[in-house]
Amino acid sequence: MGAFLSIPILALAAVLQVTVVPQFSILGGRPDLVFLLTITWALNSSLDEGVIWAFAGGILKDLLSAAPTGTSVVGLVILVFIITFIRQQIYRVNIISLVWITLLGSVLYQLTTLVILLLTGFQPAFLNRLGIDPLASALTYVILPTIVYNLALVFPIYRLVRWIQKRVGREKPFFS
Amino acid sequence: MRTWRSNRRTFLAVCLLIAIGLIVSSRLGLLRPIESIAASPLNFISGIFNRITLAVSGSVGDLADIETLRARNADLEEALIQFQGELVELREVASDYQRLAELLDYTSIATNQEQITANVIANADPNNLLRTIVIDRGARDGIAVGMPVVTKQGLLGRILNVTANAARVLLITDPTSSISGRLQTTRAEGTVIGQLSGDLNMTFIPLSASVQEGDLVITSGLGGNLPPDIVIGQITSRRQFEFELYQEAVVRSLNNFDTLEIVLVITNFQPVDLSVFENPADTGATP
Repeated sequence: MGAFLSIPILALAAVLQVTVVPQFSILGGRPDLVFLLTITWALNSSLDEGVIWAFAGGILKDLLSAAPTGTSVVGLVILVFIITFIRQQIYRVNIISLVWITLLGSVLYQLTTLVILLLTGFQPAFLNRLGIDPLASALTYVILPTIVYNLALVFPIYRLVRWIQKRVGREKPFFS
Repeated sequence: MRTWRSNRRTFLAVCLLIAIGLIVSSRLGLLRPIESIAASPLNFISGIFNRITLAVSGSVGDLADIETLRARNADLEEALIQFQGELVELREVASDYQRLAELLDYTSIATNQEQITANVIANADPNNLLRTIVIDRGARDGIAVGMPVVTKQGLLGRILNVTANAARVLLITDPTSSISGRLQTTRAEGTVIGQLSGDLNMTFIPLSASVQEGDLVITSGLGGNLPPDIVIGQITSRRQFEFELYQEAVVRSLNNFDTLEIVLVITNFQPVDLSVFENPADTGATP
């Protein structure tokens, strides 16, 4: 059930991301709803279900973006695997683990996306000679404000996701 | 039963291979028909959400700004009285220009522009590192890649890709956007490059050129990608580095890119393909 819920929930998040969220933009940073929903879902689901959420979220996000389809999938899939590994090392998810996962996850996800955009020609690597460093610029104007926003929103989104997961119930893995 | 997914490394590798396959296929355009069909319902819902969002944010903003608007209205009325005299004078100049232009058989590009109005259905790219918007007009309405997109406040960007009933606009603030610009007052030329901060950086301005805060920057038409004389923005500061052969300026667009509702697409402008001149060997020309 959780796997099937991914498409409507993440589609709504992707639509909100391009319509409502830009109204709350600081510099170039905005909260990343698809990222937050995917990592918070993965914290309390099976690896299979987390991977489905990563693919659904990444593809839906990229369909509304100029970036090639699959750009957001790479970072989200890597994060889901890392979260599954971390979950096995900790007793339960608490505020501190949620903060660390969001903080490091945001950095890793944004950097992965930046590298893919650089490789696919969607970021101006050639402008380095003009004194514009894409990495420094992305860190200052996009990655740092986005991390702050993600940290502020991860708690309400985690509670919402847990509420949905409790209603849906834990099922056996989607693939078996 | 053990499956290939039981081995996490294999599972991760397969997932990443699928994702990379998607990126490569998408970059090569192989997924375009599927992407176009899949994005249609999302664009439709985005259009509804965007209208509601802008209506709500507009109402909230109006209530908050009512005092500011009253003061601004008084200032503008005062300015209007001053400008009316100037307007009469400029109409005379325009009339003289028209007569002289007719004598020279010169037609202004601006008066011949054909434009299509479009609603913005997505105000931002979900990827924070890109600066694009989506409009509700596409190939069916005659929209093609490369067409300039403007508002009354000036240039917004160019059409990046088109589906049957929607088009994506690469904004001038995107870091990959590069436009040939000109200072309206001194006619000095430069290149206007987008920045993630939302500002624009005008570079390669000759050292001899006078650059003042408040100067308007317009398109020069050089390069053939955009028509000339469209407002890009206003100079907010300038920088001049020692030992550099040019100076730079920060340009602020007059558009608010977060609250765009209606835009105009210039449909009769044909971008000029100058690539044929880039390699003389290809054309058989001798150096």
